[in-house]
Order: sequence, then structure tokens, then C-alpha cells
Amino acid sequence: MSEDGPPKSAGGGNAASPGFLKSPLTRFVAAAVAWLPVTFGAWYLLGPILLWPVRLLVQLIARAGFGDLVAKIESSGSALTFITTLKPGAGVAAGVVSVDVNMLVYAFGMPFFAALTLAAREASWWRTLALGYAVIVPFVAWGVLADFLKGIAIASSAAIASQTGFSAWQRELIAFAYQFGSLILPAVVPAVLWVLLHRAFLERLRRRGA
Amino acid sequence: MVRFFILFVVLLAVLFGLQLTPWAQQWFVLPWTSALASISTSIVTLFDGSIVADGKVMRSTTNGFAVSIEAGCNGVEATLVLLAAMLAFPAPWKHKAIGLVIGILAVQILNVLRVISLFYLGQWNYDVFEWAHLYVWQALIMLDVLVVWLIWVRRVPRIDEPGAPPGAPPALAAG
Repeated sequence: MSEDGPPKSAGGGNAASPGFLKSPLTRFVAAAVAWLPVTFGAWYLLGPILLWPVRLLVQLIARAGFGDLVAKIESSGSALTFITTLKPGAGVAAGVVSVDVNMLVYAFGMPFFAALTLAAREASWWRTLALGYAVIVPFVAWGVLADFLKGIAIASSAAIASQTGFSAWQRELIAFAYQFGSLILPAVVPAVLWVLLHRAFLERLRRRGA
Repeated sequence: MVRFFILFVVLLAVLFGLQLTPWAQQWFVLPWTSALASISTSIVTLFDGSIVADGKVMRSTTNGFAVSIEAGCNGVEATLVLLAAMLAFPAPWKHKAIGLVIGILAVQILNVLRVISLFYLGQWNYDVFEWAHLYVWQALIMLDVLVVWLIWVRRVPRIDEPGAPPGAPPALAAG
């Protein structure tokens, strides 16, 4: 796959394709499905590296926005552990509350976006991959932070939740941010981003028929 | 494209917020999820008679293994994404209605396959189940939504550009 060579777009024709792959859309979908195991494998292996900017962003936001709640953030592979300043509750002499978050849960959009981009086989695919990665990172951070906040403000005991100082409407906001950040954003952001970055490809796909 | 994008995001946020309300959960999401469990169980019992559905739970009477279909796996979110994408796109309402009926059906058929596959993967290997559940199927369902939308977009007549010939598809590349 060459950056400067002629675009070998999945939206283009290919007389050598088998019958069921004659349609550009079918060819694109087949290529995307074929790329998924590759991109997911690479993503899993490179997880700690790919998620390093997410960790930095999460630390930055946690320090700026929730400095009174977060004492430290530890990382192990693709997981983060938020060490909070909250106490486990009345009757517990020592210890603090910690929340574990698996960043991969919010980051599967990275390999998904990569598979779509590689399947489209546009000329500047590597630039698109880099841009997509940069855009997806903040949304992963959203999911991770919302998961942490949900952990201390909603999923914890009343004794712990009361120490956070969140009001009722703030807890509602956290619940919505968590649900939206876990159920919608991880899958939708890469798809929407791919559409926005492949308008020319989609136009070719439309003109050549599916 | 800008108008479509903004409308899509707003519609998706509103629809998603609405389905989180207790009313929508009680009258739409829970019945939907229970129906999904029943349909999946009905299909599975064609070759495995030991499976029963109980509300949103699928359970094996042989080994006791059970899965509860929760938010994220019931296809509601994928349906809302498709709904928002089709409503936001400039197209005649008739085409939107037809697209939604066929599109939702296509998404739900794949979702039934997801539920059944996860049910058996969970009994075979928990690590594989987790991978399929948390990552792979999420991407495949969204790929399904994307493909359904792409097919639909190709077939809808253009209504966003004055003077465009009737029956011409909308311009995806329009900025």
C-alpha cells in the first residue's frame, strides 16, 4: 500500500475480482472485515503505547478538574487505577478508595477506524490514520474519566459517594456522560470520523454503484 | 454535510437521553430486550433444546450458564444511531421510513447473531467471550449500521440541492 501511488480505492473497479466482489461496497466491507483482526491484534499488542496519550490527558484533566478527589493515577498495561482521597467509610480506620478502569473498553474505535481506513485504500491513508487517532484519543479519555466518576459518585456506597460533594444534578450528568461515553462514543466517533474523512471515497462509491 | 453532522449529533444525544428515561426503559427498552432474548432463544432451540429465556436472560438448563442482555448488547444504541443518521440526512420521508424499517431489521438480525454467538462463546472460553463482547461485536454492529446507511444514502433521491435532477442521489461530498 503506497502513499504516492495511484489510489487503489475499494470504490474503484477491478476486473479481476471474483463475482461476489464486483460491487465496490461489497469489496469495501469484505476488506474492512478482513482488516479487523489485523488492526485489533495490533491495537491490543500496542495498547499501552497507543493509550499513553490518553493516560496523559486523563491525568491532566483529573489534576485540573478533580484534584481534590484524585491523589494519584497508576497505570498497568492498558488499565488505570485512580487512587482517590476518599475514605472507605465510617468504621474503617485506614485506607483509601481506588477505582480501576480498563481503557481498552473505550478505545476499540481505534482499530475499527483503522480497519475502515485501510479498507478504503485512499492515497493518504497514513495521514488519515494519524488524524483519526488524534481525534479519537480525547473521546477515550472522556469514557475513562466518566467511568471513574461513575465509580465514585454512583456505583459506590453512600458513605463514599457523599464525600465526593456532587449534587444530584451533577450525578445525573455523570451518569449520562458515562452512558454516552461507553455506549455511543466508542463506536460512533470512528464511524462518523471515517465518513467525514472519506467523502471523496464515498462519492466514488455512490457513483460506481453498490 | 455540516448541517447533517450537527443534526445527527443533536438527534443522537436527544434520542439517547430519551431512552434513558424511566418511562422509555419501562415501555420500550425492557420489552425490546426481552423480545430479543425470546427471539434468540427461539432460534437456538431449533438445534439446542436446553435453552430457556427468562425476561432478558438466556439460560442453559444443562450447565446453568446464563447471559443477561444489557444496554449496549440489545441493539437499542445501534438502532438510535441509524435512526439519527437517516433522520438527519436530507431525504424524502417515504425513503426515510422505508430505510428505517429495512435498516433496523438488518441491524437487529446481526444483533441476534451477536447474542447467540456470545451465549456460546461464554460457555466455551470466557476470555474469548470478553473480547468478542467488549470489542469485536461492538465494531461489527457499527460496521453494519454504517453499511446499511451507505446503501440507503445511495438510493435516496436528492432534496438538498435546488435544481438537482429528480431522482439523483444526494451529494456525499458536499461540504
